[in-house]
Amino acid sequence: MTYEEILAEPGSTVLMLGNAAIARACLEYGIGLASGYPGTPSSEIIEALAYASRKLGYPYVEWSINEKVAFENAYGAAISGVPSIVAMKHVGLNVAADPLFSSAYTGVESSLLIVSADDPAMWSSQNEQDNRWYGLHAYIPVFEPTGAQDARSVTLEALKFSSDYKHPVILRSVTRVSHTRTNITVGQLAKPKLYGEFKRDTSRWVLVPSNARRLREELIAKWDKITKDLSDNPLNTSEGPRDSRILVIGVGVGYRYSREALQRLKLLDTVRLLKITTSIPPPKSLIVRELEGKNIAIIVEEGDPVFEDQVKIIAYDERLDTKIYGKKTGYIPITGELKLEDITKALADILGLNYRVKSSVRVNIEIPPRPPVLCPGCPYRSVFYAIRRVIKKLKVNVVYAGDIGCYSLVVNPPFNAQDTLVEMGGSIGLANGLSHTLRDSIVIATIGDSTFYHAGIPGTINAVYNRAPMTILVLDNGVTAMTGHQPHPGTGLDALGREARRIKIEDIAKASGVDSVLIAKSFNIRDVESKAELAIREALNGKVSMLIARGSCILTAIAKSRRYKVKRPVYSIDLDKCRACTICYNAFACPAIIPRGDGKASIDPRICTGCSACVDVCPFEAIQSIEVVDETWRGILDEVGLDSE
Amino acid sequence: MSNLNILVVGVGGQGILTLSRIIGESALRRGLKVLIAETHGLSQRGGSVIVHVRIGDDIEAPLIPLGECDLMLSLELVETLRYLNYMGNNGVIVSDTLILRPPIPRVKIPSYEEIITTLKNTGLEVHLLDASLEADRLGDIRVANMIILGYAISSTLLGKYIDIDSVVESLAHIPGKELNIKALSMGFKFGVKH
Ligand SMILES: Cc1ncc(C[n+]2csc(CCOP(=O)(O)OP(=O)(O)O)c2C)c(N)n1
Ligand code: SF4
Repeated sequence: MTYEEILAEPGSTVLMLGNAAIARACLEYGIGLASGYPGTPSSEIIEALAYASRKLGYPYVEWSINEKVAFENAYGAAISGVPSIVAMKHVGLNVAADPLFSSAYTGVESSLLIVSADDPAMWSSQNEQDNRWYGLHAYIPVFEPTGAQDARSVTLEALKFSSDYKHPVILRSVTRVSHTRTNITVGQLAKPKLYGEFKRDTSRWVLVPSNARRLREELIAKWDKITKDLSDNPLNTSEGPRDSRILVIGVGVGYRYSREALQRLKLLDTVRLLKITTSIPPPKSLIVRELEGKNIAIIVEEGDPVFEDQVKIIAYDERLDTKIYGKKTGYIPITGELKLEDITKALADILGLNYRVKSSVRVNIEIPPRPPVLCPGCPYRSVFYAIRRVIKKLKVNVVYAGDIGCYSLVVNPPFNAQDTLVEMGGSIGLANGLSHTLRDSIVIATIGDSTFYHAGIPGTINAVYNRAPMTILVLDNGVTAMTGHQPHPGTGLDALGREARRIKIEDIAKASGVDSVLIAKSFNIRDVESKAELAIREALNGKVSMLIARGSCILTAIAKSRRYKVKRPVYSIDLDKCRACTICYNAFACPAIIPRGDGKASIDPRICTGCSACVDVCPFEAIQSIEVVDETWRGILDEVGLDSE
Repeated sequence: MSNLNILVVGVGGQGILTLSRIIGESALRRGLKVLIAETHGLSQRGGSVIVHVRIGDDIEAPLIPLGECDLMLSLELVETLRYLNYMGNNGVIVSDTLILRPPIPRVKIPSYEEIITTLKNTGLEVHLLDASLEADRLGDIRVANMIILGYAISSTLLGKYIDIDSVVESLAHIPGKELNIKALSMGFKFGVKH
C-alpha cells in the first residue's frame, strides 16, 4: 500500500484511512520519533509515517522487535524532550504494560502518545480487551476519536495535552476508526523536533522505592488536576436541548452511532446528546452538569462498559438519581462491535418508542464457509504436509503448541497442526509446561520468525536451561506476513527500506545452547521430512531441537519475480497419469488445485504461483511444468527477506 | 441527494478494497462525503471480504445496518449469497457469475443453477455478468472489479452519485490504468445495452 495522501497539500481534502489521519496529525504536530510493532488494526500508522519519513527525511521511524521495546523507545525519546508516538494493537499493550505504568510515575518531558488500536469483534485478534481499563489502572488519560472523521484532530489535541501536562496519553482507536476511509481536510506540516537533551534528575527518572513513593503522591494529585481540566476540554461537546429529561452519552465511536440513531428516530431536537472524546479520567464536573435534571441517561460506547461504570460512580457520589442505561442493563450488547440497528433499537426500547429493525432478505440455501487459508504457494503448506508425514512414520503422539501468524491457519483441516494458540510467544512458553507434564507425547512448538524475535527467545533459553525436551519449528519466511509483510530483525531491511544487518535465528539458537539446530528448505518436502525426522528424534531423546523451515512468503517471492523479471513456471496435471487419488487437493489442499467431476485434479493457471512444491506430492508424477523451471526462481523461493528497491 | 449504502463483497485478493476506494475517490471528486469501512488483516488471506461504503452528508456511522443496503457489488456468487441479509427490499445487486470454491477439503458448494434460482426468488433486482471471464479475455482477471463498476454506473442508481469521468480521474495513479479504464468502459457499455 502507498500512502501518498499523507503528504497532501495543506488545506486539501483527501480520502484517508483513519490510521493515515493519525499519522498525518503526528507530522502536523512535529513529532520526532515513532515506533511500533505490527498488529491489526494498528499497522498502517507506522507504515504511513515510514512512507512520509522516506520522502521528508524525518521523523525517525522504526519497527521494533516487540511492543515493550517499541514503547521504551518512544518513552526514552519523550524523556529527552522529543515528541514521540508508539503504536500497537490492543494486545500489544499487555506486552508493553510494564513501562506503561512507570511512565505515569515519571511523566515525560515532551509528548508521549500511546496509540492502542482495539479490535472489537476480534476480526484479527485473540481477544476483545478494552484498553481504556489501562488508562484507569495506570493513571494515563485516554482520548478516543469518534471516527476516522476526527482521528486527525483528536490526535493533535492528544499530543498537545501530553506535552502540556508532561504526561503520557493513550489514544484509543478501534477497528472502525483505524480502518475507515473518509474525507479528511489536512493542515500544515510542522517543523519536527528531532533532538532533545537529557536532564539528569535521579529523583524523577529513578524509580527506587523512596522516589516512587513520592512520585505516587504526586501522580494522585496530578490525576485530580487532569480530571478537573478535562471537564472543560473542548473535545467533549453537547447538543440538543439542555432542559431535555433524556441524555444520551456517546463515547468515542459510540457517539457516531448514537447521533445517527437519534437522527433516524427524529430525536435530535428533543434529546440532549453529549459527545465524550476524553473518556478517561471521566470529566466529572461536565458529567454532573449534564446529568442534573435528567430522568434517563443512556451510555453508548464500544467495548466494555468502562464509561458506564464511571458515570454510575459519579451519580452515586453526587446523589443523582438519574436512571442509567448501557451495556449492563441489557439493552446494548456487551460483546462485538456496535451496530447502528442495535443502537437505534436500544434507544427506541429504552424510550418506549416503536421501532422495528428492517426485515432483511433471508434465503434457504446452505452457504459454505470461506475461512481464510494459506495462500496458493505458501511455504507452510509443504512444511506441514511433510511434518504430518514424519509424525505418521514415527508413530508418536504429538501436541502442536501453536502461535500467531499466517501459520495459525494450519489449525484447519487437512493439517490440524495447532493444538494451542493463546498469545505471541505462547508456543514455546506453553511447550515448556507441556513438556514437563506430558509423558506419552512429544511437543512441537511452531512459531513464526517475527514471533520468535518478538517473544520466542526467552522461552527457548528457558527450555534449554531447565531441560524441557521439545522440537521448536521456526517458520522463517523472512517477513511479518500476517500483518502485511513488515520487516523484522531477520528481514535485512528496516522500516524505511534501508539495508540492515540480519540477526540469524540459527545464531540465536546456537548461542542459547539448543542441542541441535537444523535448517530445511520449506518448498522441498523431502528436505523438510528428513530434517524434521532428525529434529523429532532428538526431542524423543530428551533434547531441545530446532528446525528452521526457511522459504519465502510467496507474496514477496512473486513481487521479487516481477521486479527482476524472472519467469515463474505454470504447472498442470497430466490427465493420463492422474489416478484421482485426491491427495493433491485433499491432503495438500492448494487452492490452485481443483477437483474435476471425475475426481481427477486440474490446476487453475490463474491461481498457480509456480511454487513447485506440489510436484513431490503426486505419487504418480502427474504434476508437471510445461517449461523448464528457471533456477533464479528457485533461488527466490529458497531465500528469505527483502531487498532494498 | 439521499444517502447511498453500498456493499462491496467478494474473496480476498479480488480487488475489493481497490474497487471501494475508487468509488470513494470518485465521490470525493464530486464533493460528496464518504465513509468506507474496510476489511484488513486475517480475512484478506482468501477469506470472505465485505466493505461498507456509505455516501451522503448526514451519515455518521461506518457500518450499514442489516436490511438497509441499496446496492451490492459482488465479485463472486457465493459471497453474493452470504451477504443477502444486508439487502433492503428495494436493493439492487450487480454480481459476477464467477464461483470460487472455498479451498477446504470436501466442501459442498451450491450449483450455479441453485444460486441463480435463490437470487431470483428474493424478488430483488439482480444483474449478473461474466465480469471475470471478460476480464480474463482482456488479459487480467483482476480488472473484473472495474467491469462491475462500469456496469453499475450505467445501469443502477450509482450513476447518480459518480460518473465515468470521475472514476477515470481516480484511476490516474493506479498501476495498469489503461487496462482498468478499458474494463471500466466495457462494463459501462454492457450496462447501457442492458
Ligand atoms: C502482542 C501481539 N502483537 C502483535 C500481534 C499481531 N500479530 C499477529 S501475528 C503476528 C506476527 C506474524 O509474523 P510471523 O511470526 O513472522 O508469522 P507469519 O505471519 O509471517 O507467518 C503479529 C504481529 C499479536 N497478535 N499480538
Ligand atoms: S502471506 Fe505469505 S506466509 Fe502468509 S499465507 Fe500467504 S504465502 Fe503464506
